[in-house]
Amino acid sequence: MSDGRVLDILSAIDMQVNAGEAVAILGPSGSGKSTLLGLLAGLDQPSHGRVSLLGNDLGDMDEDARAALRAGRVGFVFQSFQLLPGMTALENVALPLQIGRRRSARSQAEALLREVGLGERLSHLPRQLSGGEQQRVALARAFAGDPAILFADEPTGNLDADSGQRIIDLLFGLRDRVGCTLLLVTHDQQLAARCDRVLRLDAGRLVGAP
Amino acid sequence: MLAFGHWRAALRDPGLRLLVIAVVVAVAALSSVAFFADRVERALILQGAALMAADLAVEQGEPIPQAWLDKADALALRRARILTFPSVIIANDRPLLVQVKAVEAPYPLRGQLRVDTPQGEVSQVPVPGAAWLEGRLRDRLGAQIGVTDVGLGELRLRAAGVLVDEPDRGGNLFQLAPRLMMAYDDVQHSGLLGPASRVKYRLLLAGDAAQLQQMRAWLSERLPRGSELADLENARPELRTALERARRFLSLAALCASLLAGVAIVLATRRYVDRALDGAAVLRTLGMSAAAVLRWHLVQLLLVVVVATALGSLGGLLGQQALVSVLGDWFGETLPAPGLRPVLVGLLFGLSMALGFAVPTLLRVGRVPPLRVLRREIEAPGLAAWAVWVLAAGGFFGLMVWQVQDLRLAGGMALALCAALAVLMLAGRMLLLALTPLRRAGGNAALGLAALARYPQLTLLQLAGFGLGITLLLLLAVVRVDIIDAWQRSLPEQAPNHFLINLQPEERTALAGLLQARQIPNSGLYAMARARLVAIGDRQVDPEGYTDLRARRLAAREFNVGFSGEMQRDNRIQAGRWWTPDEPPRAQFSVEEGLAQSLGIRFGDTLTFDVAGQTVRAPVTSLRSVAWDSFNVNFFVVAPPQMALDLPVTYLTSLYLDPASEGLTVEMVKRFPAVSVIDVRPILAQVRAIMERGALAVEMVFVFTLIAAALVSVAAAQVSRDERAREVAIMRTLGASRRRLLGGLLAEFGLLGLVGGLLAAGLASVSGYVIAVELFELPGRVSPNVWWLGIGGGTVVVSLVGWLATRRLLGVPPLQVLNSD
Repeated sequence: MSDGRVLDILSAIDMQVNAGEAVAILGPSGSGKSTLLGLLAGLDQPSHGRVSLLGNDLGDMDEDARAALRAGRVGFVFQSFQLLPGMTALENVALPLQIGRRRSARSQAEALLREVGLGERLSHLPRQLSGGEQQRVALARAFAGDPAILFADEPTGNLDADSGQRIIDLLFGLRDRVGCTLLLVTHDQQLAARCDRVLRLDAGRLVGAP
Repeated sequence: MLAFGHWRAALRDPGLRLLVIAVVVAVAALSSVAFFADRVERALILQGAALMAADLAVEQGEPIPQAWLDKADALALRRARILTFPSVIIANDRPLLVQVKAVEAPYPLRGQLRVDTPQGEVSQVPVPGAAWLEGRLRDRLGAQIGVTDVGLGELRLRAAGVLVDEPDRGGNLFQLAPRLMMAYDDVQHSGLLGPASRVKYRLLLAGDAAQLQQMRAWLSERLPRGSELADLENARPELRTALERARRFLSLAALCASLLAGVAIVLATRRYVDRALDGAAVLRTLGMSAAAVLRWHLVQLLLVVVVATALGSLGGLLGQQALVSVLGDWFGETLPAPGLRPVLVGLLFGLSMALGFAVPTLLRVGRVPPLRVLRREIEAPGLAAWAVWVLAAGGFFGLMVWQVQDLRLAGGMALALCAALAVLMLAGRMLLLALTPLRRAGGNAALGLAALARYPQLTLLQLAGFGLGITLLLLLAVVRVDIIDAWQRSLPEQAPNHFLINLQPEERTALAGLLQARQIPNSGLYAMARARLVAIGDRQVDPEGYTDLRARRLAAREFNVGFSGEMQRDNRIQAGRWWTPDEPPRAQFSVEEGLAQSLGIRFGDTLTFDVAGQTVRAPVTSLRSVAWDSFNVNFFVVAPPQMALDLPVTYLTSLYLDPASEGLTVEMVKRFPAVSVIDVRPILAQVRAIMERGALAVEMVFVFTLIAAALVSVAAAQVSRDERAREVAIMRTLGASRRRLLGGLLAEFGLLGLVGGLLAAGLASVSGYVIAVELFELPGRVSPNVWWLGIGGGTVVVSLVGWLATRRLLGVPPLQVLNSD
């Protein structure tokens, strides 16, 4: 911090998520949920401690190696969607497939968009879509590479109840089909309850049994 | 006001910081150029003044009144009187016609007098009782310096030295008789200043520009009929042309630097506005009116720009000091001290440029819908990219006119700018169309290239920025060298350095034979007649009818009419056409455009001349421009050779004599006694000096253009930095490797550089040609180097700039960027 004090956002976290498991991290705003998710996904690095993802120690890897690990094997859903504004819905979903150099990226992307009910919106830009629709595009993108693990950060945080419910149904439906591991950050008890296991985070520490 | 309290917060905005740097550099570059150009121009004018030996001179047939001297003293001007008259001297019992010049100290007021004496070289006026003789006079008299006495009227003067260089000799270039210089006080006792003598009295003045202006105005009101004021404006045309070209080069270089700075400001503002939109939406949500939001940002911008402009001016002052310390001794004498005007120029220019370029873009802030708070992707309606550029160009045009005081230069530049923008925008649109299919492809390069198509507005803005930047750089880097080369080539090593005049028709063959036998390069012989313009159409020419001093002088005196079948190669037809050998002979004139303008002669007018009592009438069938600094034989008025048949003509030629052939002048004078040999080497040297120093000054100004170009590159790359940061973070999240992203970025910037460079090479070639031909009246030859330099250099440099601007993004953990949304 600017006055020289060290601020611990997360401390004494020791947890393990098994393959195929669905785990929710529940906690109030500012408890460090999103930071924990970012660390687990290799989007940031901890100042201390070790993170292992899909059997790889992230501490030994540079940003490039971590990106390579994510390519095609890790999916993301963000509260703020994080779609590329200059790309159409179809291009956004095809992007991870193209990065992973998959063949027929566009036809796979199109199929996924149809699966989330956006078959008529393929060539729309994000700004031409509602919030719920944007999150469905983000969902389609997250599942585009048949990921081994999916990280979801408050996926319904920006949506109304109906849209949120539809997103959750789609999320779990797709996950059941793909069979991937799910790590979900939320402050919504009901949503957390749909997971196999719930971890509670408070002021940067895990509380209750992991 | 609210905005005042928040300017520190605003300064944390990287867009605004870039804008501040752009303004500081722009103003520093501009005011350095203004300071430096101002000082160099004044140094060049001083050199020009050296050819008059004064800043201002007045000449008449009567002695200079005491009141004029008193006025000059009251204005603290330096002054010296001289008088000239033709007379016959006797030495060694031989009479000889000479042109006497009596001078008083501190003559010369500008330039240097050089005299060889047995005691060595001196630069003072002769003491009473002594005389300086021109070399050819000494030769003709067979005089011995320090020994021979010369009889002049009632005086006997000792030949005490040989006149090597007399700065204002140029003013009397075509004088026939050799020079004898004596002390002003002596001449009163010579008994030669009687009423019948053809004495010309001249008062030389020099000093502070404001005081000189006052003196000029004061004199103009009191000038009797037959008196004439002379300043640099009507000094030798060779010099005026050279000075004018040097000034245009400097103005052009300064304009390019400022234009580049303007482009940097547009680009920097765009980024600042993009980031300001979020804040503006919040202010609108809090109930602030659109006008108030706009005002808030305008005040903020104004504050920042005022501070940046002041800093820039200070930088300019230091910058030009550095320039002077490097260049000072190349300019020979010390440069004049910096004036205050450039400070004002820098301040006003910076302020109006920053506001002119920034405000059209900033207008978007006032139109941001409050809904953007909820939907960040909602854009504020703004002006199209082309409209922003055209508005900025329009604002810049006004500034250019003010800065260079030259409507033609500024107008041409503005027109070129608009055409360049139109070409860049059109090509940009075509590029976008061509790239659209790439959005379906997935390779590294395709991903990067498709990014160009995804952000069409940004792409067009960047292409315009890079394209204009490269064009201006090429223009200055390559075309500048071409134009300066062409300028210097227009005065080749073997440019004529002597003129032979007053050759009689019967001597022609003998002289031509002599020149051929000695292999002396020459311009060929031209017939000419002394003629006085009597009427233009039905209107009689009366010198008093002109208010312009130059016109008055031209109307009052005889001038040379030349006769030639072919047009001199440095002439260019501006109206009408030159006669051809196969057309039926008829009487007609071709008139130099400057003379035509001064005297009010129009194409098609009938001119009446009086040539030694004969009246010659003919229509004007063409107007020509003349490169007086070429030192070729040129005439204000030219007629076809047939018209010379019945007129009393003499012949003249110009020739190049190398140091080894100098003895030839003595031989020629002996064989052709009526011929006068005029040595123009001092003027030639002056013009060469102006060319060299002018070229050097442009080189220095070019350094600022380079700085401004670097700034444009950074600003253009920064324009899309926010979008790019987000894209990179998302792509990283989705697993894209550093190599892949880098490949995409390099492909994207490389293509922008390639297309920008290609267009810039074309634009620089066309504008370079037009500038050379139209502005400098030089042959338009643009080096093919612009193509490979534009395309290759553009691709490499823009890729490099893109890489430098974005490489840090590749190392930032994605979460840091995504969380900042």
